[in-house]
Amino acid sequence: MTTSQPDASVHVRDLKKQYAVHEKEPGFMGSLRSFVSRKTKYVEAVGGVSFDLAPGEVVGFLGPNGAGKTTTLKMLSGLLHPSGGVAKVAGFEPRRRETAFLKQITLVMGQKQQLIWDLPALDSFLVNQAIYEIPDEQYRATMREFTEVLSLDGILKKQVRKLSLGERMKCELAAALLHRPRVLFLDEPTIGLDVNMQEAVRAFIRDYNERYGATVILTSHYMADVTALARRILVIDSGQLVFDGDLARLAEQGRGGGKTVRLKLREAVSAAHLARYGHDVKVDGLSAELTVPRAEVSARAAKLLADLDVADLTVEDPPIEAVMAELFGAGERAEKEVVGG
Amino acid sequence: MTRYLRLIRIFTGATVSAQLEYRANFIGAVLSSLGQVGVALLAIGVLFGQGSDTVGGWTFREALLVTGFFILTEGFIAVFVQPNMSRIAEAIRTGSMDFTLLKPLDAQFSVSTRYLNVLRVPDILIGLGLIVYAASALTVTLAGVLIAAVLYLSALTIVYCIWLALSTTAFWFVKTQNVAELFNGVFGAARFPVTAFPLPVRFALTFVVPVALITTVPAQAMTGRLSPALALASPLVALALFAVTRWFWLRAVASYTSASS
Repeated sequence: MTTSQPDASVHVRDLKKQYAVHEKEPGFMGSLRSFVSRKTKYVEAVGGVSFDLAPGEVVGFLGPNGAGKTTTLKMLSGLLHPSGGVAKVAGFEPRRRETAFLKQITLVMGQKQQLIWDLPALDSFLVNQAIYEIPDEQYRATMREFTEVLSLDGILKKQVRKLSLGERMKCELAAALLHRPRVLFLDEPTIGLDVNMQEAVRAFIRDYNERYGATVILTSHYMADVTALARRILVIDSGQLVFDGDLARLAEQGRGGGKTVRLKLREAVSAAHLARYGHDVKVDGLSAELTVPRAEVSARAAKLLADLDVADLTVEDPPIEAVMAELFGAGERAEKEVVGG
Repeated sequence: MTRYLRLIRIFTGATVSAQLEYRANFIGAVLSSLGQVGVALLAIGVLFGQGSDTVGGWTFREALLVTGFFILTEGFIAVFVQPNMSRIAEAIRTGSMDFTLLKPLDAQFSVSTRYLNVLRVPDILIGLGLIVYAASALTVTLAGVLIAAVLYLSALTIVYCIWLALSTTAFWFVKTQNVAELFNGVFGAARFPVTAFPLPVRFALTFVVPVALITTVPAQAMTGRLSPALALASPLVALALFAVTRWFWLRAVASYTSASS
C-alpha cells in the first residue's frame, strides 16, 4: 500500500445505538391514544460492539434478523449517529460524513436501489461520475474492468426497469463501486438472486477486494456468500458481538465443541443404542449421524468400528448452517458457550 | 461553483430523458397547464366583471400583472420545486435517502436540483407572456423592471424555502402529502393583489405567510408604486428564511434514522 492512500482499516470500540420507539395498543382506541400522547421506549439495537479490521480484510457479519447488523453498518457508513462508543473508518469519524470520507466508502443494500428507474444504468453511472468527480480516464478504465468481470455487456443501455433482478443488482454494484472505494459495506448484496447470479456477485467482490485491497464487511443470509468470501466471521445477536474469529473456529464451536460422525451401517441399529456413543443421534435406515465431543473423537470412532458392523465412517465439523441455527436457536446458552470458548 | 453547475446540467439531462420515456403524459400536462391558466384568468375576470374599475386601488391591467406573476410562480413551483420536494418524503419512506446522504455532495443541493418537470414549462411561458401583455399597457420604467426582477428572485427564494421547510418535516413525520395542499391553499390568495383583502387578512398575508411578497410586491415594483420599506423587506425575508431553512434541514438530517432494510 502506498503512503498517499489513507489506510482502509476499521476500528470500533463499544459502539452503541439506541432507538426511540413508540408503543401503540392494538385497535382504533389504541391508535387514538397513541396519536394524542405517545409512550416512548428506548430499545438498544447495538449494545457495545468492539472489533478491528485490517486494511484489505474481508469479514462476514452474521446474525438473525434484528440482531443489529444493518444498524452497525449504517453507523460505520455515517448514516446513523451512534448513541455511544467510537468508530473510525479509514481514519475518519463516519458520523461527520466528510467528503474525503464519503469518497472512500460505499454502502450497498440488496433491498434498496439507487439507479434511476426509467433510464439505462449508464445514465446513473454518469451522474455518479459527476458527483464523485471521477476523471474520465479512470471512469473508462473502471467501466471496462467492471463490464468484463460482471459481464455487463448488453445490459448497460437497457432501462433499469426492464432489467431482471440479477442484472439490476450487478448494475447497482457497479454504480456503488465506480469511485473505487476502499471500504465496502455490503448489506445482503445477493438477496433474492439465483445461484448463478450469487456466484457472479461473489466473484466480482472477490476480484475487487484483491485488485484494490479494499476492506469488506458483508452481511448475508446465504451462508455460501460468507464461506466463499470471508475467512473471518463476526456474529452479532441482540446487539452483542457473540463471536469474532475465523470460520473454522466457528465450526468447531458448534455442537458444543463436538464433531459430527457419519456412519454407513451394514445392519440397522436403533437410535437408542447409538446414543451410548454420542448425542444428537439421527438414524435414517442404514445411515446414521451423531455428535461426539471433540477430545474423544478417535476413541469413540474406534469403539464404533469395533462394536458395530460399519461400512463407512466419516468425521467432520458440523455444517456452518447448523452451527448458526444452534447459536441463535439456543439463545443465552449458546452465547455463553461461545463467549466462554 | 462550476462543479455545481455541471451537476445541475447532468441532473437536468437525466430527468428530462426520463420524462421523454412517457410521451402520452405530455398531452395531459399541456391540458392541465391551460386549465390552471383558465382558472386564474376567470378569477380575476369575475372580480372585475362586477362593474368596478379598480379593486383595492388596482386597475384591471395592474391586477392582471399580479395574475401573471402568480401563474409564473405556479409554473416555477411545478417545474422546479414540487418534483424535488415531493420526492423527499418518498426517499425517506423507501430508504433511498440513504444513498443521497452518503454521496460526497451537499444533500440539500442534491434533493433540490435532482428533478424537474419539463411538462409544466408552458406555465412559465404563459406567465411571462401575461406579464408582458399586462405591462405593455402600463407605464413601466427600466428601473422598475430591474427592481421587480430582483424582488421576484427574492420571492422565488421565499417560495423554495417554505416548500423545503415543510417537506423537511418528513424526516420526523415520514408522510407529508398534505404539504402541497397546505401550501397551495394559502398560495391561492396570491392571485389577487394583496390590497384587495381586508386589513387583517392583508396583514397576515404580508407578515405571517409572506404571500404578498411573492406576487404583489414585484408587480408594485414594476408599476413604480412600491414603498421602500417593502422593497427592502423582501430580500431580507428571503435571506433570513434561507438561513433558517438551511439550519432546519441540517438538524433534520442529523436526526435521520433511515428506514430499516
